[in-house]
Amino acid sequence: MLRFVVRRLFLLVPILIGLSLLVFFWIRALPGSPAEALLGERATPDSIAQARDQYGLDDPLYVQYWRYVQTVGSGDLGTSIASHRPITEELRERFPATIELAFSAMLFATLIGVPLGFFAAKRYGGIFDNSSLFLSLIGVSIPIFFLAILLKWLFAVNLGWLPSVGRQDVLIDAGHPTNFYVLDGIVTGNWNAAWDAAKHLILPGIALATIPLAIIARITRASVLDVQNEDYVRTARAKGLAPRTVDRRHVLRNAMLPVTTIIGLQVGLLLSGAILTETVFAFPGLGSWLQMAIENRDYPVLQGGILFVAMVVVVVNLLVDISYGLLNPRVRLAGR
Amino acid sequence: MSVAEITEIALEQAPPTGLWRDAFRRMRRNPGAIFGLFVIGFFAFVAIFAPLIAPFDPRHQDLSLIVDGCCPGPSRDHLLGVDDLGRDELSRLIYGARYSLLIGVVAVTVGLTLGMFLGATAGYFRRLDGLIMRLMDIMLAIPGFLMAIGIVALFGGGGLLQVMLAIGIVNVPIFARLMRGSILGQRETDYVLAARAIGVPGRQILGSHIMPNAISPVIVAGTLALATSIIDAAGLGFLGLGPQDPATPEWGTMLTGTVRYLQTQPLLAIFPGLAIVIVVMGFNLLGDGLREALDPKLRGRA
Repeated sequence: MLRFVVRRLFLLVPILIGLSLLVFFWIRALPGSPAEALLGERATPDSIAQARDQYGLDDPLYVQYWRYVQTVGSGDLGTSIASHRPITEELRERFPATIELAFSAMLFATLIGVPLGFFAAKRYGGIFDNSSLFLSLIGVSIPIFFLAILLKWLFAVNLGWLPSVGRQDVLIDAGHPTNFYVLDGIVTGNWNAAWDAAKHLILPGIALATIPLAIIARITRASVLDVQNEDYVRTARAKGLAPRTVDRRHVLRNAMLPVTTIIGLQVGLLLSGAILTETVFAFPGLGSWLQMAIENRDYPVLQGGILFVAMVVVVVNLLVDISYGLLNPRVRLAGR
Repeated sequence: MSVAEITEIALEQAPPTGLWRDAFRRMRRNPGAIFGLFVIGFFAFVAIFAPLIAPFDPRHQDLSLIVDGCCPGPSRDHLLGVDDLGRDELSRLIYGARYSLLIGVVAVTVGLTLGMFLGATAGYFRRLDGLIMRLMDIMLAIPGFLMAIGIVALFGGGGLLQVMLAIGIVNVPIFARLMRGSILGQRETDYVLAARAIGVPGRQILGSHIMPNAISPVIVAGTLALATSIIDAAGLGFLGLGPQDPATPEWGTMLTGTVRYLQTQPLLAIFPGLAIVIVVMGFNLLGDGLREALDPKLRGRA
């Protein structure tokens, strides 16, 4: 098992090098000079000269790249043009918000998607099956920002049941030791704050969950259909186990293997979707931060954000890979 | 009995059935796929004949129609109402079909061409495999929509052409991986071995033996990629990275401005959104239908 993990870690190295090269050259390939890209449109000749000096933009590219790797390695992603604050500092505030949102979305998608797919497969070809297929077709066909707008219109603007913007009511005075607002409320014993933060997660969470929900339901259905015809399921039935026991122990447990992988692989999709969802709900996370960076042409933020998001995706995929190896010995041993 | 008659009988007994003919027959029995095809055909018709169908010029503003800051809903003159600048909503939707379909088709063509080339090269010329596939892995690590944003910025900000190229490039690794996998599967077959044994050069084996057999999963993925490309393009338009002339009736861009009028005129957001949902659903249905028709493993199951 250790060999398997170490091998996977080694495969990470070329990807990380490639990613750093990609974002390094990206900011230098932008229209205009790199100094302008780093300083924004209001750069003066003086500040440009200063930046050329500070970032060593006159040095050879490989020297600049090496310096970039060193600064990123020491945890410095640069400075935002718009706010003049270090990018890592803004990330610390905004990333927890997006984790909270993505986690609620995944929770929702899994809790609904797995039973939906399972019962659709159990009633294969029936009305329930067909309507769940139709729902998942709508789920993958609806643009996430359109769904977000619809939800906002219906439940926030029209019915007024749920808040339409932000992470927490501005009137609530709550401490934020972890920046995970729901957790903060629980930790500080402020239940009111926790409940309010949770309410702010519902609509964007549902919007963000639709695509993963549709995919999880489809994969679960296909997987249950496959497993149901396996010999060991027939054996279990033949030896007279109760149908529910067979479903739980033999069908669902084995059918969940591909589903767990799929759940892990949704991370990139969630982070892409967060850009649009957070924009519609003015939710102060990673996504709306990147959207503002696009609007302000804040290229350092985009550069740092792209690198950070890509690293998150790579690390999560690695964890999925390793956990899959743990769950399924065939994968672990195949690479020998 | 003459020789000619004998051959004629033999031909009648064995009508040629190819993969595509079989696939088409199976498709015809799939109501979803037929409906998808119908939807796509309808939107393609609307897009092509937009100037003849649209009752108004999509860019023509008539501010005298604006009441109380926003836009009256459906009426006899304007079947779907007018937007915040007094432009006819129906005409804008009709012209918008042009942009969405064009962006989708061009983006997928770009992605398909580059991706198939890279994937086929990696799959057949094994020495380049590692390099190309690592590059694809790096591209796949960056979430697609975020990468599209980065590429649009590289091309100097928003614009129709920029969006098409960006989404096309984002699609490259998907097609490259698929093509490579498909080629690897075909490489080991007996007919390739036979072709190599009689001395057919590598490029010709790839072009006229492997490709035609490896291509059907790529066609399925291409149809489904049209759906996601249209959604992504609308998303970029929504973020203001679409056509830079705000009068352009692109569906995603049309949604941007309407958020402000949700309380007074939600229909302005609902119409372009529904248009996207329907056309994307069409491509998804067709893609699923093609997959079921072309994939021998799924035969007789669905």
